[in-house]
Amino acid sequence: MYKTIIIDGLAFALPLLIIAIGGIYSERSGVTNLALEGLLGFGAFSGALFIVFLGGHFSQNSNIPIYLSIIMAALGGALYATLFALLCIKFKSNQVIAGVVINILSQAITTFLTRQINQNFFEQPSDKFQIGVFPRISIPVLKDIPIIGAVFDNFYTFNIIIIALLAVTWYLLYKSAFGMHLRACGDNPQAVDAAGIDVEKVRFKAVVLSGALSGVGGICFAYSISANFSPAIYMGYGYLAIAALIFGNWKIMPTFVACLIFGFARSGGNELAKFLQLSSSYLDLTMTLPYILTLLLLIFFSKRNRAPRALGEIYDKGKR
Amino acid sequence: MPNKTVKNKNPIFNLLGNPKYQFISIPIFAVIISLILSAIIIFLLGQNPILALKGLMQGAGALPKDNYAAYQGQVTDFMETLDIMTPMLFAALAVSIAMKGGLFNIGVSGQMLISGFVATITIGYAKELNPFISKTLVVIIGIILGSLVGALIGFLKVKFNISEVVSSIMLNYIFQYVISFFIITQYVDPVTRQSRVIGENARLTLMNVEIGPYKMRIPIFFVIAILVAIFMHFYMNRTDQGFEISAIGLNQNAALYAGIKVNHRIIMIMAISGALAGLAGVTFYLGYRASIFPNQLSSIGFDSIAVSLLGNNNPIGIIFSSLLITIIDRGGTYMRSVSGVEQEIAAVISGIILLFSAMSSYMKEVFGARYRKGGK
Repeated sequence: MYKTIIIDGLAFALPLLIIAIGGIYSERSGVTNLALEGLLGFGAFSGALFIVFLGGHFSQNSNIPIYLSIIMAALGGALYATLFALLCIKFKSNQVIAGVVINILSQAITTFLTRQINQNFFEQPSDKFQIGVFPRISIPVLKDIPIIGAVFDNFYTFNIIIIALLAVTWYLLYKSAFGMHLRACGDNPQAVDAAGIDVEKVRFKAVVLSGALSGVGGICFAYSISANFSPAIYMGYGYLAIAALIFGNWKIMPTFVACLIFGFARSGGNELAKFLQLSSSYLDLTMTLPYILTLLLLIFFSKRNRAPRALGEIYDKGKR
Repeated sequence: MPNKTVKNKNPIFNLLGNPKYQFISIPIFAVIISLILSAIIIFLLGQNPILALKGLMQGAGALPKDNYAAYQGQVTDFMETLDIMTPMLFAALAVSIAMKGGLFNIGVSGQMLISGFVATITIGYAKELNPFISKTLVVIIGIILGSLVGALIGFLKVKFNISEVVSSIMLNYIFQYVISFFIITQYVDPVTRQSRVIGENARLTLMNVEIGPYKMRIPIFFVIAILVAIFMHFYMNRTDQGFEISAIGLNQNAALYAGIKVNHRIIMIMAISGALAGLAGVTFYLGYRASIFPNQLSSIGFDSIAVSLLGNNNPIGIIFSSLLITIIDRGGTYMRSVSGVEQEIAAVISGIILLFSAMSSYMKEVFGARYRKGGK
């Protein structure tokens, strides 16, 4: 039983984490990002689009298109994030509003295009793109370690990709010059400007990166939850990622912990319902566990939370 | 010297740039640009954009259709549009007052659901009650439940520093799942898989009223929603509390120094916002609809954020923006039947409108600058 909790928990926590990291990049640079939901959806749509059009050109059991679809999802997410960045940075819109608009538009466009493409190219009235099943593997020796061995047992290979991305994004944010500029833009953009660095450019890059990371998370959710792309991807995981990053105090590692709590509370709840042999309607009750847990934890821990100081402010050169 | 007196030669720029009219000219400009862009998209898809946009208006009863079934007419279609516009208007007012106070109520959907659910199981199923009493009770329950949830969100913010965005999203999920559980285990109609239909006595929309040759629905709360919007306009612009709310929204620290009890006010703002969301909930679940889908939040709560924005967060503006967005949303089905464009394009059109209205402050600035320069 604990095995399923760990395997399912990780399969949920890691995509959530990569989306939350996307959010951290954007918010640490000073751009409030409520658009994660739309970005992950658009990314998943782009990846799925690639699969339905070009997946057939690869040999039957090849996993290459599946991995390529992750790259396409990142590109699609980044492209769509450019629109968000333009709104927030070039057109100086209210960032909260721009985020919500981006979400609404993303859901509208992808739903419409999925239907229209299915109608025009495949002549079927469907709002889904079938994208297949993501490969799972086990690591032979490690998986036999008691308890934590479950981490290495029967896991989606995207877990490895996300862990690798976690390492890269952590290094980029905390150890590179770009990361330092980015974090400074979120706390004291005037100082960054005085140092001769273009604040708007840094923020633009941060937002586009957050789109790419959200796109990866989105396509992973699409694979792990349903093996297809449909408007059901807009389940609110983007908002959950925002909760995770606020809970993680805008830092990558604490956010990782927050995502793990969500993931395990979710899979643990499901297993609990199965264990107690409750009817499936009780799943609705156990599904609330991650959210109730978050609220309770926030009550205890959010006093010391500190958002980036310039978060949500449009950069104004003239301001002191 | 600023030469404001120089008249712009181009009347369009004059209209768009003059700060006196910008509050109305810019939103209209955004809508027109969006409709043109949508028409281009429809054209590129190989369909007739005029036919499609006309279909949208016809479907929502804003233009007459070619033919109608018995008891049906343009007026019945339009009444239905007003019926679904009512909760949209309440929800957008809920968002706007929070936004004025610098708070973001993204939990309108959840507050709608809990108000609608509690009103349904208490009064909605008490079918022997006098219609007037049960309708009044439904409204009171909606207001109380909504404002309690709103106040809770405000309390969590001021007491525990929990962002209202996060707590309302968490509450949305919790309500959605818990209520779904109760509907499925206690109140389900085995045929429709929704909650059992409420009694007509508690329903806030009068159904199948025969007027002349038509059988139509009468959304009695539409008028009340308009009155509430006018009242909110007065409240926000003509009362001390309204000014205090705006002051908090503009700068919390300054408001604090000015002696405003910011924490009290934040809880109050969220309670009012929640009460309006509760009204949206009862007019949606016990008015436009008469039952609740399990495991589903209505999209009104999220669309209302955009409607509020399109209306400049101004209650009077919101009356018009909610009418516009409702017409576009409602007309999609009919548009598909006359033009062949998938009905989801309706959501794309309203999305594009929102996109351009999100740029309104930029447009104001650009056109304003040209206007001051005398159109050079």
